[in-house]
Amino acid sequence: MCKPKIDTIAAVSTAQGRAAISLIRVSGPKTFEILNRIFVKGGKKAFPLPYSAFFGKIVDPSTKQVIDEVIVTTFLSPHSYTGEDIAEIGAHGNPVVVGRIIQLLIKNGARAAEAGEFTKRAFLNGKMDLLEVEAISQLLSANTATQATMALNQLDGLPSKFVAEIREKILKHLVQLEASLNFPEDAIESIDEYQVGRELRKILNELYIFADNAKNGSLVSEGLKVALLGKPNSGKSSLMNCILGRDRAIVTDIPGTTRDTLEESILISSIPVKIIDTAGMRKPGDKVEAIGIERTLKAVEDAYAVIGVFDGSVVETEEDKLILENLKKLNKNIVLVCNKTDLPQKISREIFEGFKTVDLSCKEGTGLVDIFAVLTDIFKTDGIADFYEMVLLGAQQAAALDKAVCALERAVDGIGKNYQDMLAIDMEEAVRELGRVNGETVDMNTLDLIFERFCIGK
Amino acid sequence: MNKHFSVIVVGGGHAGCEAALASARLGADTLLVTLNISTIALMPCNPSIGGPGKGHLVREIGVLGGEMATCIDETCVQMKWLNTSKGPAVRSRRAQADKYLYRQRMIETLFKTPNLVLRQGHVTELIVENGIIKGIKLETGLIFTCEKIIVTSGTYLNAKIILGKSSWSGGPHNQSAATGLSDSLIKNGISIRRLQTATPPRVLDTSVSLDKLRELPGDVDSGGFTWEDRLRRYENQISCFLTFTDERSIEAVKRHLPNSPLVLENITDEGPKHCPSIDRKILKFPQMVTHQIFIEPEGWNSRELYLQGLTTAMPPVAQEDILSSVVGLENAVILRYGYAIEYDALSPGQFRKTMESRIVKGLYTAGQLNGTSGYEEAAAQGLIAGINAVLALKNKAPYWPSRTKSYIGVLVDDLSIWDRPEPYRITPGHAEFRLTLRDDSAERRLIEDGYNIGLVSQSRYEKILAWKNRIENEIIRMSDLSLLPKTENREMMQKLNTGDLKKRVSCVELLQRPGLSYNQLMGLLEENKELSNSDEVYSLETDIKYKGYAERENERIVQTQFLEKIRLPISFFDPKLEILSQETKLVLKSDKYDDLGQAVRKGSVSKTDLALILAVYGQKVQDYSLNGEEDVK
Repeated sequence: MCKPKIDTIAAVSTAQGRAAISLIRVSGPKTFEILNRIFVKGGKKAFPLPYSAFFGKIVDPSTKQVIDEVIVTTFLSPHSYTGEDIAEIGAHGNPVVVGRIIQLLIKNGARAAEAGEFTKRAFLNGKMDLLEVEAISQLLSANTATQATMALNQLDGLPSKFVAEIREKILKHLVQLEASLNFPEDAIESIDEYQVGRELRKILNELYIFADNAKNGSLVSEGLKVALLGKPNSGKSSLMNCILGRDRAIVTDIPGTTRDTLEESILISSIPVKIIDTAGMRKPGDKVEAIGIERTLKAVEDAYAVIGVFDGSVVETEEDKLILENLKKLNKNIVLVCNKTDLPQKISREIFEGFKTVDLSCKEGTGLVDIFAVLTDIFKTDGIADFYEMVLLGAQQAAALDKAVCALERAVDGIGKNYQDMLAIDMEEAVRELGRVNGETVDMNTLDLIFERFCIGK
Repeated sequence: MNKHFSVIVVGGGHAGCEAALASARLGADTLLVTLNISTIALMPCNPSIGGPGKGHLVREIGVLGGEMATCIDETCVQMKWLNTSKGPAVRSRRAQADKYLYRQRMIETLFKTPNLVLRQGHVTELIVENGIIKGIKLETGLIFTCEKIIVTSGTYLNAKIILGKSSWSGGPHNQSAATGLSDSLIKNGISIRRLQTATPPRVLDTSVSLDKLRELPGDVDSGGFTWEDRLRRYENQISCFLTFTDERSIEAVKRHLPNSPLVLENITDEGPKHCPSIDRKILKFPQMVTHQIFIEPEGWNSRELYLQGLTTAMPPVAQEDILSSVVGLENAVILRYGYAIEYDALSPGQFRKTMESRIVKGLYTAGQLNGTSGYEEAAAQGLIAGINAVLALKNKAPYWPSRTKSYIGVLVDDLSIWDRPEPYRITPGHAEFRLTLRDDSAERRLIEDGYNIGLVSQSRYEKILAWKNRIENEIIRMSDLSLLPKTENREMMQKLNTGDLKKRVSCVELLQRPGLSYNQLMGLLEENKELSNSDEVYSLETDIKYKGYAERENERIVQTQFLEKIRLPISFFDPKLEILSQETKLVLKSDKYDDLGQAVRKGSVSKTDLALILAVYGQKVQDYSLNGEEDVK
C-alpha cells in the first residue's frame, strides 16, 4: 500500500497577539531534525526525550542571531497528540518574535500548518476517531460551559465506543450471512433470519435514542431556538428585552415596529437558547411588513419552541384568535405569555385553555422566573437538560447515521419477505454508514472475517 | 515454418486457451506454445467449473465471446443451481466437468480456429529490447519473434511437487516444470514470489461404497452457461456424493501431522485461503470434528473419483490412513495421491487491468502466474489479455472492464492492485454491486462490449439484442400498467394471499409484493404476456422486485464509474490541481494505478484531496465526501 508521505508542520497554537507566552507547535517526522538546526539547548540532557522540557535559545543558523530564549517540550512518536514527533516551543508572546521563529522553522523544512491540521493528523494516525475530532472542534469553538462539557464528554470516547459496538454486533451477523452466501456448500449454519431480525430491531431502538441524542446535541450546540409570536404591539419586543435583561429590540407603541426577526442568545439553566423576536402576525400594511411576516412564519417553523405573547390589558382580537389557532396546529413546545399584568386585565382567560400559560409584566419584571421555569421543564422533558448524554455530529456524520438507520429499517421490514441477499445488502450498508459516523477504518472485507471464523473448504 | 507472429501465447491452460482463441478470432496471427499439447486445457485439480462468483465469470466469458462457457456446457456431467433460496444476487450455476471431454473439445476448437498455430515447446527466454517485448527463445534454441506475448504459465514456473518429506521438480500431475522463464522475467525487471496449492487424492470408483452416502444430483432444468444454452435441459447427469470426517479421521490426521508439509515447513505458507488442506483445517479449527467430503466424478467414463475436502500433501501412508477412517471410503483404493505444488508467480502490482505488464511493454500475463487460483479466474484473465493484446496491436483503445459492469471487471480491478500474500479467488463478496452483476443479467450488461470488441458475430449479437429488448420493453410496459380495485381482482388477490387492493395500484408495486408472479398478474390484467420463457420472466420479476435496491446501488455505481474514468497517470495536469498535497500529486502522476478509483480504494488519496480533485473535474463534492472506503488505513 502506498502510504502518503508526511511532511512536518508548524503553527502558533496560542491566540494571536501580545501575551506573556506564545506556544509554537511543530509536528512531523522532521521535527527534531529541524529543531536541532535552530535550537541551542542549555544543560546536558539528551535531546529529545519523551515528555521532556528543555531550556535554550532559538538561533538563526545563517546569522547566528539569537531570536528568543525558549522552553521546548518534546513528545516522541507515537506518544503525542498527533501520534508524530512533536516539539512545543514556549516563546515570549511577542508577535514579531513568534513570526520570526515560524519563518525560521519553515526555512528549515517545516510547512505552515493548515487550520485543524494537527487534529487531522491525530485522526489519521488513529489517535482519535471522527467523533472525537468533532468534539475537539466543538470544544475549541464552544461559547458556553455546556457546549464544552458536551465536547469533553464526547472526547471520553463513549459515543464512539457505542457506535463501534453496534457496528460490531451487526457485522457479526453479516459475516455469518455472507459466509453462507459466498460458500453455499460449506455447511455453514444458515442464519436464523427471525432471530437476526429481532436483534436488529433492538439495535435500531438503541440507534433511535442515539439519533435523538445527536439531534439534541446539534440543537444545543446551535442554541435552542425559541420564537416569540404574537399580534403587533402585544409586547413581544418588550418581553425579549426583558428576557435578555437589556434593550435589544426597539419598543414603541406603534404596531409593526419590529419588521424583521431579531435573534439573541442567552443561557437558560445552562442551556444556550436563541430568542427570536418576530415581526408579529397581522394583515400586512405594506410590502416591507409582508416580508417580515413571511420571515415570522419561517422562524416559527424552524423554532424548537414558541412563546405565544398576548396583551392581557385588552379584549382579545381576531388576530389573537388566529394566532391561537395556528399554535394549536403546531407540533411543537408552546408556552403562552399573558403580558401586561400590571394593567387591568380585559382578556378572557378561557381562550388560553389547553396551553401552559405564564402571567407576566415586563414593566414590573414579574413572571420572568416562571417563564424560565416552564422552559427548563420543557428542556428536561425532552431530555435536553441531560447534556451528558448528548452527541455532537458533523453534517456528514448525521447523514451517515440517517442512512444506517434507514438501511436497518429496511432490513427489519424485509425479514421473512425478502431473500437473504437483500438482507446482506442492507446490513452491509448499515455497517458501512456506521463506520462513517465515527470514521473508523471501514475495511469492508467481510471475506477476511469469514475465513477467520469458518472452516471454508468446499 | 513462420518464425514471426503478431501474438504468441505461452502456456495452454485455461488462460492460454482463451487468450489464444481471442487473439486469433480477432484476426491476429497467433502462436500457442505449450509444454505438452496433450494436456492443453487440463483440469489438474477439481473437476468442476462455476459456483458463486466463478459461475458469473463463466457467464460473462460466454457473452464476450470466450470459449469456456460453451465448452463446459457441452462437456459437463452435471449442472446445478446454487443459492437459489438465498436470492438473485448470489444465485449461480456450477457444472461438474468431464475433464477428458473438456480438454478434447478445447483442443479441437483450437485446431480448427483460423490464424492459430499450435506448437509444443519449452520457452526458456523472453527477448526484450529497450523494455519492449520482441520474441521468445525455446529450450531447443528456436526463436520466434512477435509484437505481443501473453504468458500464462499457471503453476509450472520452477514448479516443485511436495509430498510429505519428499519433494522434486515437477508440474501438475508430475509433468515437467518450466524452468528458465522465471530467470528471464527477473532479468527484465519483473519480480517473482512463491505460491503453493494442493490437490486431494483420487480413488477408484468401484472401491467406494457410494450406497452408504448422501447423493447430490444436479438440476435438470438449470440451463447452461452460454446464452444459447440458457433453456437447455440436462436429462442425463452423474451425481456427486457427500460424506464426512469423524473423530477417527481427526485422530488419523493428528497422528500423521509431524509429516505434514505444514509442520515440516518445507513449503511456502502462501496458498489459497478457500481450499485449505485437511491438515490445515484441523490445525486451525481443532475443535471441529465433522468436515464435509464431496465425492465427485471426473467424467462419464473416468474411473477416478475426486475427494473434494481432503486436499493434502501428507505422505501416502497418511493419506491411506485418513481415507480408511471415513465412512464410504473405508476400502478406497487411491489411484493418485494428493500432493502440493509450489510455483513462481508475479509479485503484486506489476500488471495493469488490461493484463499488460507495467514493466515490459507488449508483455501480458494471465492466470495463476498473476496470483489467482481457479480455472474461471484464469480463463477470464486470458480472455482480457487476448483482447487487449490485439487491440494494442491495432492501435485501438484498450478494453478496461468496469467493476460496475462485470465480475470480470471486479477481478481485473482487484487483481491489478491485490497485494495480499494469498492467491485471489473471486466470490460475490468481492463485488460491491452484486445486484447489478446478477448471473441472469450478464447478456444485458455485456453484449454491446462483446460485439464492439469483435468476438460476437453480427447474427449472435442481433439475436441476443432482440431478446434483451423484449425483456426491457416488457419491463417498461409493466411500469405503465396498473390494476383496478374491481371485486374479482380483489378476490383473486386475497386468494393469492398478497394483500388487498383498495385503490388502483401499479403493476410495479404489485410485483414487489411477495408471492405475486408476472404470469398471475398478467392473468388478472387480461393482458398479453410478451415473455414466456422462464429465464425472461425471471429477469423481469427480479428487476422489478428489487428496483429500490438497484436504484440505491446505482447511486454508488455512478460514483465509482466517475472515479474509474479518471485514468492514471493523468495525461494533462490541470494547473488547478497544483493545490493538492505533494503526495497526491505524485500518485496522480505516477504509473502505480490504472485509475483514480484504485488509488482511492488503496487509501492513496486523502479525503480533502479527493474532494478537491472532484471539484476540479466538475463533480459535486457533496456526493463524494462520504464515498468510498476511508482514506485511513
